[in-house]
Amino acid sequence: METFLFWFCGAAMVLGGLMTVVQRSAVVSAVWLIFAFVAAAGIFALLHAPFVAILQVLVYAGAIMVLFLFVIMMLQGPVLEGERRRMKPALWPAVAIPPLAVLVLVGTRIADHGTAAFTTPLPAGFGSPTHVAELLLGRYLLAFELISIALLVAIIGALAIGKEERKLPWK
Amino acid sequence: MEVTMTHYLVLAALLFLTGMTGFIVRRNAIVMLMCVELMLAATNIVFAVFARAHADGGGHVFILMNFAIAAAEAAIGLAILVEIYRRRRTVNVDDLKALME
Amino acid sequence: METHANETLLRWIVLAPLLGAAVIGLLNRRLPRRVAGLLACATVGLSFALSVVVFLRMLGLDPEHRRLTDILASWVAYGNLRIDIGFAMDQLSAVMALVVTGVGFLIHVYSLGYMAHDDGFRRFFAYLNLFIFSMMTLVLGENLVMLFVGWEGVGLCSYLLISFWFDGEANAVAGKKAFVVNRIGDFGFLLGMFLIGVTLLPHLAPGEGAFSFAVMQHHAPLLAPVATAIGLLLFLGATGKSAQIPLYIWLPDAMAGPTPVSALIHAATMVTAGVYMIARMNFLYVLTPTAMAVVAAVGAATAIFAGTIALAQNDIKKVLAYSTVSQLGYMMLACGVGAFAMGIFHVMTHAFFKALLFLASGSVIHAMSHEQDMRVMGGLRRKLPVTWWTFLVGTLAIAGVFPLAGFFSKDEILWKTWSSGNTVLWVIGFLAAGLTAFYMMRLVSLTFFGTNRASEEVRHHIHESPATMTVPLVILAVLSIVGGWVGIPAFMGGGAHFEHWLEPVFAGGHAAGTHGAAHAVHDTTMEWILAGASVAWGVLGLLLGWIVYTRRLAVAEAGRRFAGGLPYRILENKYYVDEAYDGAFIRPGYRLSRTVLWKGIDAGLIDGLLVNGSALAVAVVASVLRLFQNGMVRFYAWSITVGLTVFVLYLSFSG
Repeated sequence: METFLFWFCGAAMVLGGLMTVVQRSAVVSAVWLIFAFVAAAGIFALLHAPFVAILQVLVYAGAIMVLFLFVIMMLQGPVLEGERRRMKPALWPAVAIPPLAVLVLVGTRIADHGTAAFTTPLPAGFGSPTHVAELLLGRYLLAFELISIALLVAIIGALAIGKEERKLPWK
Repeated sequence: MEVTMTHYLVLAALLFLTGMTGFIVRRNAIVMLMCVELMLAATNIVFAVFARAHADGGGHVFILMNFAIAAAEAAIGLAILVEIYRRRRTVNVDDLKALME
Repeated sequence: METHANETLLRWIVLAPLLGAAVIGLLNRRLPRRVAGLLACATVGLSFALSVVVFLRMLGLDPEHRRLTDILASWVAYGNLRIDIGFAMDQLSAVMALVVTGVGFLIHVYSLGYMAHDDGFRRFFAYLNLFIFSMMTLVLGENLVMLFVGWEGVGLCSYLLISFWFDGEANAVAGKKAFVVNRIGDFGFLLGMFLIGVTLLPHLAPGEGAFSFAVMQHHAPLLAPVATAIGLLLFLGATGKSAQIPLYIWLPDAMAGPTPVSALIHAATMVTAGVYMIARMNFLYVLTPTAMAVVAAVGAATAIFAGTIALAQNDIKKVLAYSTVSQLGYMMLACGVGAFAMGIFHVMTHAFFKALLFLASGSVIHAMSHEQDMRVMGGLRRKLPVTWWTFLVGTLAIAGVFPLAGFFSKDEILWKTWSSGNTVLWVIGFLAAGLTAFYMMRLVSLTFFGTNRASEEVRHHIHESPATMTVPLVILAVLSIVGGWVGIPAFMGGGAHFEHWLEPVFAGGHAAGTHGAAHAVHDTTMEWILAGASVAWGVLGLLLGWIVYTRRLAVAEAGRRFAGGLPYRILENKYYVDEAYDGAFIRPGYRLSRTVLWKGIDAGLIDGLLVNGSALAVAVVASVLRLFQNGMVRFYAWSITVGLTVFVLYLSFSG
């Protein structure tokens, strides 16, 4: 069962990713991206990270992507602009070679050394909201607080950038 | 065939390379941001894999941190794009060359 | 090691003036003048009050346990090196603390009047408070490193205050000179401190503070093999701070600062830091007769050398400055013959009468519209009655007239010198005492007797100073009279309280040091004879000075001509020491700096090769890199990708 789910979710995720990249319309790209994120949530679930999986759907596929769609709609007209020209065929190898090189490398390594399995047994309740929350508010409390400050800064920054210039309080 | 750790890692690599390639080939800044999100998602999967491998929930915590970073990055990035669009009437990065001296 | 009582008031003694300095210095012009002045006085007054409180508490303790400590924090804890930020007060520190804060408070009050019309009023008080803070750190520091922090702090304040009126070039140069000369001394101090560190550290248990005075005293035998080297190095530091030969040259120039500064820093307190430090390290000096002999010899030589220069100076403050150098020589002489308590006794009495003399001379200068040349003064005793009477008390005290403060301390120093068998040093000291009386009387005669030689306009403005200036004068005059009575020696039927008070601190010194104490019991006739001789000698000097410079100015002129002008010119030009240093050190230094360091190393190597060379390299590399900065975001992204890929490939094939 796990095997089937892995192949299913994995294929969906990679498909979603590819479609995001190749679709001309930004709106369609965004929808495919949501598709890929939901598939990624499945992968998280398979990796015994149920809490993260749920947040992936709620925060990523939900909130963040809504933000993207919202901006796309604000900028309606021009979203297709620029994609009418194709990339010059002469540049294709330059783009393709680095990722392909990495893939070849990965392939040869697997061929040489085989695959590695998960060996460590998991405790009960691993990845559950309780477990993650205990870590987040215990061992990683400082990181938690710092990231909240980073978010605050981002909010203020986004507001400051988005504001009409003459209304900036310090000008 | 049994699903191993390697499978998950290769999957993450594929997703990352997709996002990376997309960032290079696309000209629309919004889609480029989406590609960045793809790469971040790939990293998250790697975090989850190693959390599973070491039975350490710290990886999950850092996925959450990554979520926050992704959200912050999207918010700021999109705000910049909207502002650029207001001034230049375009989000095509090939037309945005102010960085060159 | 003995146990120490804790006393958290100590930190407030030190920190109160710092607080004042911070508030006044930071708020500066936002603070009304009156508030700034009062705040400065109040913080120092608080320090003094707390010192008295702690002192009274000490009186209630058993003499062996009169050492109070207050450790604030650990400063350095590395390996078995431990240095604390902390304060300690024993009998020696208590005397110094009372003198510094007490005299400091009076001088603060005096400055309210003296500096009233100065533009830098607030800056002045901020510096002055900072100075008291540094001086208290020096005096109350629990270890040698804290002492050094205070030592550098007072040096800084001295520099800031000498060049307080920095728009005059001479003042700025004088400040710089003081700073540079002191650096030479500090260099010796630092080396001495390092030597103590490397000697002691291997033998200490972790957590024992190597530089704590208590620990050093406890482990003094370990220091014995290098005691001479340490003693001489530390003494080099003391010659800088306490203006001894060969580093005394900065002190007379330091008179460029405002007169209260000359009184507080360059007479009463800071310059005695060297004496204090040597007294503090007495357990080390008693181990090394060589260093002690050097200290004594340098002290005596300085006493007479500076005394002769003072004979021929015409600037009222310069005379007092050389007199200070000479008196500091006495203190060093006392330390050098093992009479540390007498050295500190003289520090105290000298603080009273020299602060008095400086402040009174400030009052004179104030009245004379900032004229400092005694040749145009004269006849001031009716115009400035308070200043005149207090100045006279100061003069009699420094001349060693019985029963004023100066008599007891100076006589005791000479007696200890005699009784420790240093007859030559005694003769020098005795001669210098006569000189002191003579040049002080010369100063008094030229200033207060005869007729006024100033211009009509200046004469018109002569007036007695305001109460903020005269009240401190009167208080200091009283102290100059009674200050010595705490140390009336045993042969006169006194209790020698001062010496007994300090006895626990200098216990080691007495054991290994002079045999004077034994003498005193058997042979009081000699003490009486010497005391009588020095009083007679002092009075003779005074009389001579009075007669020559008041009654027979013509005689003085004749004497000057008779001396052929040459000896006089030598004295007037201070033995040409400044010129000699200029030729021996400063000019070669300049030449070295110009030709080798500047033209060769700085302009050639550093500017030519390193600075311009690296700029050229950057330019070459940049002309290539510029091609990559084409403004195409996607090109940048691609570059990152390529770099990352190469990096991954490298990692996987290298490992």
